[in-house]
Formats: sequence, C-alpha cells, structure tokens
Amino acid sequence: MNPSSIPALDTPESLPFDLMRVPGLGQLFRWRYARPLLQAPLLVLSLVMIGHGLFGPTLAPKNLATTLSWLHFRGVLVLVLLCAGNFFCLACPFMLVRQAARRFLRPRFTWPRPLRNKWLSVGLFVLILFTYELFDLWSSPWWTAWLIVAYFLTVLIVDGFFKHASFCKFVCPIGQFNFVASTLSPFEVKVREQDVCTRCHTKDCIRGRREPVSDLVTIRGCELALFLPSKVGNMDCTFCLDCVHACPHDNIGILSRLPASELIVDPIRSGIGYFSRRKDLAALAIVFTFGALLNAFGMVSPVYAVETWLGKMLHVSHEAPVLGLIFTFFLIVEPLLLLGLAAWLTRVWARSPRALLPLAVRYTYGLVPLGFGMWLAHYCFHFLTGLYTLIPVTQNAIASLGRPFLGEPRWTLTGLPANVVQVIEIGFLVLGFAGSLVVTYSLAEDDSPDKPLRAFLPWAAVCLVLWCASLWLMFQPMEMRAMLMSG
Amino acid sequence: MTLLVTQQMTGCSRPAKSPPVVEIEHAISPQPARVGAATVTLKLADATGKPIIGAHIAVEADMSHAGMSPLCAEAKEAEPGRYQAHLHFQMAGDWVILLHVTLPDGKKLERQIHVRGVRPGVQPN
Repeated sequence: MNPSSIPALDTPESLPFDLMRVPGLGQLFRWRYARPLLQAPLLVLSLVMIGHGLFGPTLAPKNLATTLSWLHFRGVLVLVLLCAGNFFCLACPFMLVRQAARRFLRPRFTWPRPLRNKWLSVGLFVLILFTYELFDLWSSPWWTAWLIVAYFLTVLIVDGFFKHASFCKFVCPIGQFNFVASTLSPFEVKVREQDVCTRCHTKDCIRGRREPVSDLVTIRGCELALFLPSKVGNMDCTFCLDCVHACPHDNIGILSRLPASELIVDPIRSGIGYFSRRKDLAALAIVFTFGALLNAFGMVSPVYAVETWLGKMLHVSHEAPVLGLIFTFFLIVEPLLLLGLAAWLTRVWARSPRALLPLAVRYTYGLVPLGFGMWLAHYCFHFLTGLYTLIPVTQNAIASLGRPFLGEPRWTLTGLPANVVQVIEIGFLVLGFAGSLVVTYSLAEDDSPDKPLRAFLPWAAVCLVLWCASLWLMFQPMEMRAMLMSG
Repeated sequence: MTLLVTQQMTGCSRPAKSPPVVEIEHAISPQPARVGAATVTLKLADATGKPIIGAHIAVEADMSHAGMSPLCAEAKEAEPGRYQAHLHFQMAGDWVILLHVTLPDGKKLERQIHVRGVRPGVQPN
C-alpha cells in the first residue's frame, strides 16, 4: 500500500484541519521563539522538582518531584499524545538547556553509524522500566530528582559532542515512547501542498535557511533528518517546528489525519526507511506494547506472589535477578512466542509470501494501539485518581518556605473516584483493542488480498490475548509496594 | 512486628540545650497488616523508662506512591503512657505512618513508622 491509499484527507471535500490556521495558535507556532516560550515554564518546573526532590519531604505523596513526575506529567503526556500529538517534545525542557549550551559548545562529531538506529534507545527504555521497578522510583523523591538531573546531563553530553538532534533521535527513551505513541495522534507536521515542494529548490526544511552570501544557517532545518516532502507520519518527529520556520513558502502545517493510519501503510519514509525492514523499530514497538502490560503488572498483587515463588525456586533473596527474569519473560520470551506463532500461522494459512521475521516485524506495529490503550489506562488511573493532590503538595512546599500564602495544605484533596476512573480505563482498553484489530486487518488485507481473514485471525488472537491480559490487570487489586521480595 | 524507635530531638536552633530523649515503641494489629481496619498502639517513655502521660499524638498514614489521600487519626491514651489510634488501610502496599507528637511540656517531635507490604483484604466467607 502506498501513501496515496491512506484515506483521502487531501481531497477538497475533506481538507485536513490545520492547527497552524487557528487564529492565535498559528501565529504563536510561526513565531521563532515559540519553542523556548513553551520550554521555559517546563524548565522552571524541572528545577523546582529537582530542588524539592533533593531537599524537600522524603515522602513521595508530599513531594513535587514524585507527584509531578509519576502522576501529572505521565498522565498529561499520554492524554496530549492521544488528543493532539507529540507536543511534549516540542516543549521539552532538556532541549532548552542543550540549546543554551550549544552557544558555548559546538558539537564536532556525527553520531556513529552503527548506532544510527533504535537499539540503544530500546535498551534505555527497558532500563528505565527496570530501574523504575528495582529502585521503586515512584516512592523516592531523591531518586526521581536524580533521574531528572541525569537526563539533563546526558542531553548535554550527547548533544555537546554530536551534531544535530542525536539525543532525541537515537537516545532519549521518553522521546521514543512519544514517537511510537504519536503514531496514534490525530495531528501530524506535514506539507500542505506537495506541488509547492516539487517546485522548491532550496529545501530549507531540511538544509535550514541560509544567508545568501556566507551560506550560514540562520534558521535550522530538521535536525532529525526528516525531509518534509517525503516525511510520512509522526515517527521521529519532535514537533519542534524548525521546518515550519525554515520553509520559505509557508507550506508546512500541523494537519489532522486518521490516527494510526501511518501504521497501515509501508512507504519509504524520510529519515526512517521502510517500517517493515526496521527490526529495531519493531523491537521498540514490542517494548512499548509488552512493556505497558509489564509496567502495570509491577503494581498489582500477583507480581509479589510470582517474585516470592521465583525467589524460592532460584534460592535468591535479591530482587534484581528475579526482576530480570520477569522482564526477560515479558519482553523477550512472551513476544517471541506470541508473534512467532502468529507469523508462522499467517504464513501457513494465508500463504503469505513474506519470510517469518519480516512478517512478524510488519504486524508488530499493529499491536501499538493496544499498548497505547494500556499506557493510557494505567497512567490516567494515577493521574485522575490523584488529580488534585498537586494542590496540597504545592501548598505544603510553599508553606515550608515560611510563607504559606496558598494556605495550609488540604491533604483531603485527591482526585476522581476510582470507580469512575475505572470506566475511563476500560474505555481506553477497548479503544486500543479496536485500533489494533483495525490496523492488523488492514495489514492482512494488504499482505494477503485473497485471504485477508486467514492472515488476520492469528494476529486477532494475539490482540485478544493481550487485551484479556490488560483487562485482568486492570481488575487486580493494586498494591504499591517497594519491598518486592519481602514475601 | 515491634520496632523500638529511639531518636534524639534537636531543639529549635538551640543546640546548646540538651534535647529530651523519648522512646516510642509501636505495634500494629492485625499482623500482618491488611487492607481494612488496623490499630496502632504506641508506648511513650522518657529516657528513664517512665511512661509519658498526657501527650497529644496525631497519626497520619501515607502510601509510598503519590496521589493517595493520607489517613488521619488521633491517638487516645488508653492507659498511662500507652496510646491507641485506629486507621483504615484503603490499599495494599507500603505505608508510612507519621506521628506528630506534642509532649506535655509543649515540645513537639515527629517520627516515621514504615509499614511495608500491607496485604490485600481478606474476603469474608
């Protein structure tokens, strides 16, 4: 399937909605300093979180670092990704610091060729999930603050040495999460009219706008190597709007589109290549999807029984090896079994011409909506049930400075009732399941036009298994524990 | 589980003053702690082991994860130097109980008790 077979959004009768055409918003996004303006408040917030995390109350529910990181940031992030796009990367505070540092540090190197893929970031994504469980980051303001500090330092080191947006494209685990999730977002940074790009000779969107004589770049082009005329979808797009500012023809917008439509097609994508040939991207999609279940599994009662049982079986009392085994099972063994079996069945039943691995890689993207549904359900549970806790935590932080002008902390403020939030959670899971069924069926139709149902059924079964597992997890009693091996 | 907590209370920016020593012994029932009603028993004694009578103890229980409402209760003096507070753990997991103690002489001190692994409630048959 080529890009032209994506539902016709650019026909006159169904022109996409363009956020850049919204009065006020368009002017803001076109303003050169829009990004720093959005980044500055988040940078201040990050510094407050670091300060409070290191020097504030040691109890997570009373600290801004833990409350903002593990409740509000994650909740807002997934909701913005669902409702709009990758706007967190646009407002990323780490990039503001990097930009300031680049006034003094000029990166000299290009990112090493063997690392120009997602394998490193997949590993870091897994590492973040692992340390989250091992060190109980949610319960430690101190560790949370150091995580933020480590993020700032890593950005400075990586982008201090390497040109372009190496950190965003090849390292940042949050960025990879956002890239995958934003394949389901309803907006995309995209050219408005391909004809304009065909006639364009300067290609400022990728090269940057340059001074005519000195050839110095005055406005940056895309640092993630996405050439807008052949950019497809949101993968690797940080919504930084550099291309918008660089384009001399005002031909780039933030256009509406059908969420997940980019997962159905497999054209060659600028800066990415073919999805179906990117095993690293498929691995990222696997960690995104199966990691969603694993992350939720880490907070329900059965995980402790499993850990205790494993600990006894292996005669180990330390948590790391047991947790390592659980991660290996959920992120390697289970996907290998499920996806391998489904790919084999698709080959046999539908006589798909593809080899087993390319087939598995291709259909793996179909599981992304399910994974996103689970992330949404999990993060929104914490966000919505603890929605108002930011108020007393902030009141307490200000009171501790000796000027309680926001009043005494009202610790009774929490959030929406759990039974209301549970309905919302189920809604997200149903949405994710439906999305995965639609995507995998579309892939099956494209792969095996004669026998789409035969190609689809094994993947539908995988979706069903994962969805049932998600539902089961949602109905487990939550258990927020730190001492996993305490029996 | 009984834990003896002994800590020196520092005076409010007056290090020259000798700080009072208060021993707080605590017990939580039922054991192991489960979701539902729980009783926190506290025994307050001075450095010589003499029970401290007439203290005011505000008990606050927080989960280790952000986003949960704290539980608050007053500990009543059941017998000289022995105080009891009733809590209702709403969720399984790790809890931290904060004791805000006001001694009879008006001095204040705080203690933390970690209650690890509160288990899911038992379903009645």
